[in-house]
Amino acid sequence: MKTALLVMVHGSPRPESNGAMFDVVEMVKARGVFDFVIVGFMECNEPTIPEAAAQCVAAGAQKVVAVPYFLHSGSHVADDLPTLLEEARENYPDVQWLMGDYLGRDELVADVVAQRVREALV
Amino acid sequence: MAGHVPTNAHYSHSPIRSPSPSRPFKLFRVTHAILLFSHGSVLCGAGETLFELARRMEARGDATIVEAGFLNYSEPTFEEAFEKCVARGAQKITIAPYFLVAGYFVKVSLPPKIAAMSEKFPNVQVKVAEALKTHQFLADAIVNCANRALEPEKWRDILNTAPQFCRDNPQCPLNGTPQCPLRPSK
Repeated sequence: MKTALLVMVHGSPRPESNGAMFDVVEMVKARGVFDFVIVGFMECNEPTIPEAAAQCVAAGAQKVVAVPYFLHSGSHVADDLPTLLEEARENYPDVQWLMGDYLGRDELVADVVAQRVREALV
Repeated sequence: MAGHVPTNAHYSHSPIRSPSPSRPFKLFRVTHAILLFSHGSVLCGAGETLFELARRMEARGDATIVEAGFLNYSEPTFEEAFEKCVARGAQKITIAPYFLVAGYFVKVSLPPKIAAMSEKFPNVQVKVAEALKTHQFLADAIVNCANRALEPEKWRDILNTAPQFCRDNPQCPLNGTPQCPLRPSK
């Protein structure tokens, strides 16, 4: 089954703020785990999440896994992103839509924070 | 483990060897605290992610003390968390911005708050770490998060469990809805 990864990102009025995230998404792409990888923005930047969802379908994805690139389980993760995915599901009912955990839920984030702390102490 | 190695250059160049890897230079080291600094959220329960992270980092010894403090909406505030670190004996506090990148809140909102706390506690050494930025572990985390993906009926589990963390916040998106335990819809 052709699987797409849709990384759902908040977006920023300063587009250069997205640089670090794009670098991380490139690392994911390089691993070749997914047939198609795309970023979709909730605000400010393009493509929007609905546009990115449409591109996953256009690329032939039969299954789309949407991962919130968010550190907290705030309103966006809890409410806004599920709403956008429900719309995608209605528009493309033949595609399987899944929502992944939000980034901050993963235990590896602790290792990144700990490394940033160690770097500050050098 | 890297976390137990003294990172201060003075120690690392010292000819004295640590008596045991589990107790490196305990007598010479100041009590170190990590203060996780985050934005905060209007949704009740949203801060739990950060409290859990603080508990985990303290339990595994990233620092003797790990506390979390917020800029907006959520509690404790940054100042309260800083004072908690001091009350628990911190002599050195590293502020770790729990942000993907250092934007306005880290570059503009945070520095005057640090300055005010440094003035209040002049004997406490303060360092500021970088935001998360780019890291291979974040790519791993994305893949892990994708592997734990949920079917549509579970997409609103977080929203549905938020009422158990209710703190009577009028800005919470659940306030005034049937789900809000304190101020349900009329």
